[in-house]
Amino acid sequence: MELLLNLTINGLATGMLIFLLAAGLTLIFGLMDVLNFAHGGLFAWGAYSSVWFYSLTESFVIAILGAILTGIILGFITEKLIIKPVYGNHVQQILITLGFMLVLTEMLKVVFGPNQIAAKTPPYFVGSWEFGDVIIIKYRVFIIIVGFLVFGIFQYILKKTKIGLIVRAGVMNKEMVKTLGININNVFLYVFIAGAVLASLGGALMAPYSGVIYAEMGMEFAILGFIVVVIGGMGSFPGSLLAAVLVGLTGSYMAYYVPSLSLAVNMMIMAIVLIFRPQGLFRVKG
Amino acid sequence: MNTMLKVEGVHTYIGQYHILQGVNFEAKEGEVSVLLGRNGAGKTTTLKTILGLTPATKGCITFKGQEITKKPTHVIANSGIGYVPEDQGIFATLTVEENMKVAMRNEDEVTMRKQDYVLDLFPDLKTFWKKDGGLLSGGQKQMLAMARAFVGNSQLLLIDEPSKGLAPIVIEKVMEAIIDMKKQTTIVLVEQNFMMASRIGDTYTLLDDGETVHSGMMQDLIQDEQIKRKYLGIG
Amino acid sequence: MTTKYQWNNIFLTIIVIVLFIFPFVTDSRTWTILLTQIFIFSILAMSYDILLGYTGIVSFGHAMFFGIGAYTTAVMLDRVEPTVGVFILSIATGMVIAGIISFIVGLLTLRLKSHFYAMLTLALSGLFLVLAEKWRSLTSGNDGFTFRAPEVFKDRMVFYLVVLVCLVVVYILLRRFVQSPLGHVLVAVRENEQRTKSLGYKVLHYKVIASIVAGVVASLAGALYAISLRFVNTSVLTMDITLDALLMTIIGGVGTLIGPIIGAGVIELSQHYLSGLAKDYPIFERWIIFFGILYILAVIFFPSGIVGTIRQAFHKRKKPRVVEEKPSNSKGES
Repeated sequence: MELLLNLTINGLATGMLIFLLAAGLTLIFGLMDVLNFAHGGLFAWGAYSSVWFYSLTESFVIAILGAILTGIILGFITEKLIIKPVYGNHVQQILITLGFMLVLTEMLKVVFGPNQIAAKTPPYFVGSWEFGDVIIIKYRVFIIIVGFLVFGIFQYILKKTKIGLIVRAGVMNKEMVKTLGININNVFLYVFIAGAVLASLGGALMAPYSGVIYAEMGMEFAILGFIVVVIGGMGSFPGSLLAAVLVGLTGSYMAYYVPSLSLAVNMMIMAIVLIFRPQGLFRVKG
Repeated sequence: MNTMLKVEGVHTYIGQYHILQGVNFEAKEGEVSVLLGRNGAGKTTTLKTILGLTPATKGCITFKGQEITKKPTHVIANSGIGYVPEDQGIFATLTVEENMKVAMRNEDEVTMRKQDYVLDLFPDLKTFWKKDGGLLSGGQKQMLAMARAFVGNSQLLLIDEPSKGLAPIVIEKVMEAIIDMKKQTTIVLVEQNFMMASRIGDTYTLLDDGETVHSGMMQDLIQDEQIKRKYLGIG
Repeated sequence: MTTKYQWNNIFLTIIVIVLFIFPFVTDSRTWTILLTQIFIFSILAMSYDILLGYTGIVSFGHAMFFGIGAYTTAVMLDRVEPTVGVFILSIATGMVIAGIISFIVGLLTLRLKSHFYAMLTLALSGLFLVLAEKWRSLTSGNDGFTFRAPEVFKDRMVFYLVVLVCLVVVYILLRRFVQSPLGHVLVAVRENEQRTKSLGYKVLHYKVIASIVAGVVASLAGALYAISLRFVNTSVLTMDITLDALLMTIIGGVGTLIGPIIGAGVIELSQHYLSGLAKDYPIFERWIIFFGILYILAVIFFPSGIVGTIRQAFHKRKKPRVVEEKPSNSKGES
């Protein structure tokens, strides 16, 4: 029972980190029809910049804010320089975002060195709560809370604000949104930056969780993110949360019981979803 | 009466296909101008070209005396043109209310008055106010699309085949609504249903193979059996 | 038209002859090894061109087939015996396995839109990498294993010639393939999938065929690569291999076959020199970053690569002025 609970908390925490990455992917895909293969790079940059800010200031809050700032800057650059020039051409988009992923990853090695870096947990999140036999690690609970908080905030924005309304409308029919007098290019930029911020926040939270960061972590997590986006349905925000939790939990249970199969099982779920329900669990378009 | 919209010698390509090869027409303030022609004559493309969705490669489009030919779609729309596409373009998972909201520039008194007006015109929309747009019937979708285009500060409405796929009784309703809206706005209508076009149109422009071949007053066309037979296959 | 074609062929033949004579006139070991490497990656890049350039499919899992070829050859030479017979048999086996896997993968995934396909192949090749890492009894995991190549290949020059022959044969066969009616359908799929479908072609079948051809040829490249190192580890299955193929194809020129060969040459050579520079300037240890940037610029500004851009320039010069000014013509080309 304790084991199961611990595995569940573990899985939920991992799920939330994947969710932060996948949420941006799915929104960007839904609205702009762009599958951003560089998204994992933004995640890794978030992790590195938070560790860097933390080592400078010893403040976790500043570390997180620093990661968010990195996300905004990189998101802006990526949209303007990488996505915009090839907008509407799928093949070129796929090629160019993957190339940018390569550049982002290599840049990390140039700036921070090729070796992995240790990441510290802030003192107030170190340790765990004990309830009888049950040990709950504080930082994991923190990640889960942040995950739900972010979901709540974004859900509110999507449902209750004008910009959220426009985003949801744009996911369904971009052309119509344009003819209603809305400059969709600006909306694209905002959504892209929001997605980049979510990814870099995810990376920042990931760093103390895993204890070490390395440049390739971006691609590793991005693959999980892609799996989540496919399972949850491209463009569906709630779908990405549900699928991320699913993937996180499966990964956590499998890692304990059948460790060698944990990635394979998630791949399998994705393959099954793609074959039988290619639109994902939550259908958005059409 | 003032000319609201003027389309002069417009050519449009879609991919490598030369769709519009010289379209000319005018819409005068407070009138309903009807674009007629066979399937594939270029009527829908003409509307899309006015809106900048399929930009013109040659020619000139002016709206309220200002050239809008090369402007981006949202700028054209904001200058006061509303669009009701053939497939209505309803946002299926947004409620009726949200569909209207996307179109509103702001929520001032003028816009609210416009909203009240269209809701009186289409009481169905009030009934389904909180329902998802995707759940509406074909006729209701058409009404929502027209209402939505109207509240967006439109002095000119481009309506593409409003009668398509609707039952005769619903067509009647839509037609009455257009006649009523005419009091407040100028309308360019694409219509295959000649009965409907002839009843609500003031002027007509006849397109064939992407070119304007005839234009004039609707009354004259109704009597001109020869043109009707040649270009519309009726009469 | 025919004369231009013949000139091209004569030109290529001369280059091939020069390359054949090359090892007899020089005894530079570095150059022999470097050229062998270029030939091997040319084969890989050409196989990628069949997918990307001719059919318009973006696969991020091409390393999968390269790795299958490399491992099959390495394992068979290691476990059975290092003879030419086993070598040939191992290449054939690798090709069959690669063919079967690309058939299954293609059938399941090529129905999907380009995004999904790219993503799925990326994940699948990741899965193969994990598999190779875990299946230690066969692959020795990450550490890899050395094995003995057939005795004749000990001579670098012999191996050089074998690889060159492979390259020429593969080039001729693939050129036949893309110029066959089947190849024309592939190009039609690339240009307009919907239209090809509505013309009655079973697009999925053609895409699967393209992916099988590409997979089989990639496995040959992998086998030769393994022999050239007499060592194999999981690096043959990594994203880096796919990226190499991608870079070479894009920079050389997609949909030209000759382009990927030039791309392989350019990239291998500059890689050689840039990593040489790293001793003095540490930034060059990350030479891949320059390719990344070059690649991005190529995708935006020269999507047709070196060969494509040269061809366009050549065509433009030959075209009479009048045609260029016609708006309908410029539209038709885009």
